[in-house]
Amino acid sequence: MSDQTADSSVALFERHRAELKASKRTMNLIMLAAFLVCLALSVWISQFYPERLASGIPRIFEYFGTIIPDLRWDTLLDGRTEEGRAVPGSITYWYTDFWVYLELIWETILMAITATLLGTAVAFLLSFPAAANLAPNSWIYWVSRRFLEICRGIPEILLALVFVFMIGIGPLAGVIAIAIHSAGALGKLFAEVNENASSRPVEGITAVGGTWVQKMLYGVVPQVTPNFVSYALLRFEVNVRASSIIGFVGAGGIGQELNRVISFYSDDRVLAVLILVVLTVTIIDLLSERLRLGYIGRENFA
Amino acid sequence: MLKLDNLTRRFGDTAAVDRVNLEIAEGQMVGIIGRSGAGKSTLLRLLNRLTDPSEGQILFGNRDIAQLKGRDLRQWRSDCAMIFQQFNLVGRLDVLTNVLTGRLFDLPAWRALAQIYTPAERAFAVQALDRLTMAHTALQRAETLSGGQQQRVAIARALAQEPKILLADEPIASLDPLNAKIVMDALRTINQQDGITVICNLHTLDTARDYCDRIIGMQAGRVVFDGTPAQLTQGMAREIYGAEADQAFNEAATSTSLASGPRARAKEAV
Repeated sequence: MSDQTADSSVALFERHRAELKASKRTMNLIMLAAFLVCLALSVWISQFYPERLASGIPRIFEYFGTIIPDLRWDTLLDGRTEEGRAVPGSITYWYTDFWVYLELIWETILMAITATLLGTAVAFLLSFPAAANLAPNSWIYWVSRRFLEICRGIPEILLALVFVFMIGIGPLAGVIAIAIHSAGALGKLFAEVNENASSRPVEGITAVGGTWVQKMLYGVVPQVTPNFVSYALLRFEVNVRASSIIGFVGAGGIGQELNRVISFYSDDRVLAVLILVVLTVTIIDLLSERLRLGYIGRENFA
Repeated sequence: MLKLDNLTRRFGDTAAVDRVNLEIAEGQMVGIIGRSGAGKSTLLRLLNRLTDPSEGQILFGNRDIAQLKGRDLRQWRSDCAMIFQQFNLVGRLDVLTNVLTGRLFDLPAWRALAQIYTPAERAFAVQALDRLTMAHTALQRAETLSGGQQQRVAIARALAQEPKILLADEPIASLDPLNAKIVMDALRTINQQDGITVICNLHTLDTARDYCDRIIGMQAGRVVFDGTPAQLTQGMAREIYGAEADQAFNEAATSTSLASGPRARAKEAV
């Protein structure tokens, strides 16, 4: 008797398992078909055809040919002559404007730091009303959520263009543009961290008679600070990249110089600037990652 | 005197607390017993308005607590401290700051924001901790403490509020027997030395019998027993606990049942 029921329950399980597998297989096939349709559409719209790619690739190398510096072994490390002229074929000749580049890269990094600090401050303040579990009422929640969406919805370069027209050419326009975008992007991340915070400490502060601000400051902030710091540092890395291209529209930083050398000269100066930009971004990324991991590690073992 | 008049709280169609009428005199230690879901927690949370009542009044003096809003409500909460089953401390803040949050209501807003406390306030908090023999942990993070230690810090935070009433929602349900005894002894001492009214939800009968002046039994949101521990007969208790009776009575099975409360010790002394 018990053997029979055991057998039939196994048979029932096998039947359910087969049905589940079949329905999953159908679903997978439908998804695959949908994916292929999307892929075909995007190839067609963007005209990403093999023959176009094939005809384009040689031109890529052509361009590289024009920006490769003409370096010669015999004069490679030569300094300036007595009249103050750099010798053609030397690194000094290639990087004639080195100090100009360096100053602009320094400006780029400062822009990124300022924009990240400003953006983080705004994101911090708005992340509490924009968290579904913490907002004092649904109206404030809705407004702060939408505000953050608008901030991160507009591309930085577009914002920078607008601010260049409003307040003039220079790094201030870039800083404001990047800060606004950072506030929007970080605000959403911060709000999501807040939504995952434990409600128990918050309830504890409610029960001692704390105001809403006190509940956030004492109940939530200590829980979320490590995550906030980590996200802000990550954003700093992104912002160094952003501020190195934002100069294309006149909003300060090394991008301004990159734009100038590309449009006016299109020679080895382009590569000179590009190498510096890539080096800067890489170094900042490495440093920031070390800082971030170091901080997280310290927090976990404290 | 705390007076509940027809106090009701509904969640959807079910009344978690159903037309409760009670009078609790100042300085009493009251134990509320009942099975899980009987409405004990909701009743306690109604008293400090962590949950809002659907109907009825909570009178303290001649003020209706059920109608308080804004600053008046926060003042009431600071007068009516609460300790929780899961302690509800801020784990990443140090123990002293956790206790100091008990003073938040009396702090000027800018000092609360800047987290600046006077030496007198710190001394007060350390003394509160010292009463619970926890002063040595003052600079540690709260999350590094054991459950029993955290609950003692939570009691110190409540003491820092200088409350008139102390609510305790299943304060020993997450603790081992030894820590449960320390916590219950502390609550009883505070009740007797400071004259603070203590209202305590307890899951086990023995603890309520050992520590409380008065026991209130709840079942399906209603008060079904209200009397001294002596008046609570086995039959009555069985009715309150229903299917959970055996578990609630069986001392071996419930980690929080205490072998030697003050009453038991009193018997030994005789």
